[in-house]
Amino acid sequence: MNQATRWTNVLQDQRAVLLSLAAVVGALVLGLLLVAAIGVPMGDAVAAFADGAWGSPYALAASINRSLVFTLVGLGFVLANRANLTNVGGEGQIAIGAIAATAVCLHPGVAGLPVGLGFVLPMLAACVCGGLWGALIGLLKVKVGTNEVISSLMLSFIGVWLLYGSVQSEALLRQPMTSSSTLPESLEIPDPTKLPLLTGDAGMPLHWGLPLGIVLAVLVAVVLHRTVFGLRLKAVGLNALAARKAGIAIAPAIVGVFFAAGALGGLAGSMMLQGEQYSLKAGFSSGYGFDGLVVGLLARGSVIGVVAGALLFGFIRSGGINMEMTANVPSSLVLVIQGVIIVALAGSARWMDKKGAAR
Amino acid sequence: MSDPASGAMAAVFAGSTLRLAVPLLLGATGELVSERAGVLNMSVEGMMLTGAFAGAVGAVYTGSPALGLLIGVLAVLPVALLQAFLSITLRANQVVTGIGINILVLGATTLAYREIFGGRSRAEVPGFDKWHPPLLSQIPVFGDAVFTQVWLVYLALALVALVAWTMRYTALGLALHSAGSEPKAVDKSGLSVTAVRYGAVVFTGVLSAIGGCFLSIGDIHTFTEGMTSGAGYLAIAAVIFGNWKVGRMLLACLLFGAATALQFQLPALGIQVPNAILIMLPYLLALLAVGGWWGGRVRRLI
Repeated sequence: MNQATRWTNVLQDQRAVLLSLAAVVGALVLGLLLVAAIGVPMGDAVAAFADGAWGSPYALAASINRSLVFTLVGLGFVLANRANLTNVGGEGQIAIGAIAATAVCLHPGVAGLPVGLGFVLPMLAACVCGGLWGALIGLLKVKVGTNEVISSLMLSFIGVWLLYGSVQSEALLRQPMTSSSTLPESLEIPDPTKLPLLTGDAGMPLHWGLPLGIVLAVLVAVVLHRTVFGLRLKAVGLNALAARKAGIAIAPAIVGVFFAAGALGGLAGSMMLQGEQYSLKAGFSSGYGFDGLVVGLLARGSVIGVVAGALLFGFIRSGGINMEMTANVPSSLVLVIQGVIIVALAGSARWMDKKGAAR
Repeated sequence: MSDPASGAMAAVFAGSTLRLAVPLLLGATGELVSERAGVLNMSVEGMMLTGAFAGAVGAVYTGSPALGLLIGVLAVLPVALLQAFLSITLRANQVVTGIGINILVLGATTLAYREIFGGRSRAEVPGFDKWHPPLLSQIPVFGDAVFTQVWLVYLALALVALVAWTMRYTALGLALHSAGSEPKAVDKSGLSVTAVRYGAVVFTGVLSAIGGCFLSIGDIHTFTEGMTSGAGYLAIAAVIFGNWKVGRMLLACLLFGAATALQFQLPALGIQVPNAILIMLPYLLALLAVGGWWGGRVRRLI
């Protein structure tokens, strides 16, 4: 790469960052205008938003935990996207991971395991099950040529309803019925299976998922940019036919990358269970998988982009929830803001990708 | 089916299968045309939801479901034009734009619904009455249960037939096919590929909006937040399963409709199947269908 192209690249990257910022700021301004249109004093809404997003140690930790989930799903999206594949299955992978983690956490004996195996084992189970669920997308793609967008979407719906079903039936994960008011949800998982808190203080529930998430983000960046597997994925994505001619086994790469994406989604599900909610219930995820997908979409292949987007969305979501609770602003406002960001970035992709087109 | 009770039961099942298939069918027919012309619309879900919402609001404010339908169709135009502008003029990633529009519409309709109707959900809206078609509804056992439907059902079936005929036998159909498969040839012939594709996307929007209106002012006479809940995606799955052929697509929609109808039918028969399995069934069938479970070659879409 000569000096001139390197400079063009830097300029292009800056343009992409500026465009993304403009889209986010524009969407937030639109959100404020909508708040005004609803008739809520803007100051109240902004204060409620800030309060819910970072106003207390608890709020801050909750936002970061949320961002962590989006990061994991977004990383899975970016991995698959390197091979030009679109994984829309995060929501289902979260559900499957959470089901697996709950089953293992509640299994007698697991809580008594030594050296932290009590919380590690459920996470591993979530990774494997989420991974297999994800690998299904890849298998369908390479065996029958099913479009991965449709299959991963359908698997998302199926996973979400599997979770719903598993907490409805006592034969599965529903807590034993003790009275008519027993809710259709699982028992709370035993303490040793919960993720240990970093601060040791329930007032700021940052858990061990955070360092793990950082390690995984670095790992994914290394895999993408510094390993043969990453190069293979790129080759498959750029030109599958040429990659095959060059001797790259395309099918295992596709199934493998979907396994990895599914494992990350499954892990996200186990973190939501073991780090935050502690019991499985209907509506467990409330669209986190789709938020993570959007984060992946916005990141344009960059791991740093995933982390930045996940933080943005984690804080926006937390703030949005609090706006609904204390300032009477429907949290669907957050969906409008997200939708505008996605549409704006998708529409401006051509100007960000001039670099790719010229190459 | 000699037992009159089971006959009546089967008739009710057939009737609700048809009723539940209609919104899917409308969305799928629009999607088929758009995909033939070379644009994948992941935003069918959002377009249906727009129709369902605007149709309901229109019906409430005008007091007339027919005007509601008209308003539902008009309201989808900006959404469809946005989709067309993004995917045709700006050549943006079609999956991304579709999902973005769906999220945007879900947020906007939920927000607007709460603003207009307050917190109380499920407010009754003026809806279409059922129509008793002459002769058909007089068929013993089946007639009334199957054919007494909102007239939109018959409009949908007529539209599907019309689209099948247009795609197959007319110059317009040829132009749509060519815009997808031979865009350069279309340009040389003096037609604008862009115009053909814009038209196809707007057509998808109109049909999807009618499908959405069928949900809100045709079927249950109310609007609930996110009431399409995946119907648009099932419609796309039906197109893929149908291998871009109208007949098979119609079968797929009926199959998904039947799977949904089981939710109401099995409990009535006293058969205990977990609710979650029944709700999941259409998606499971769609997955098996696009996964080529029943044979037939499935083309790669993107």
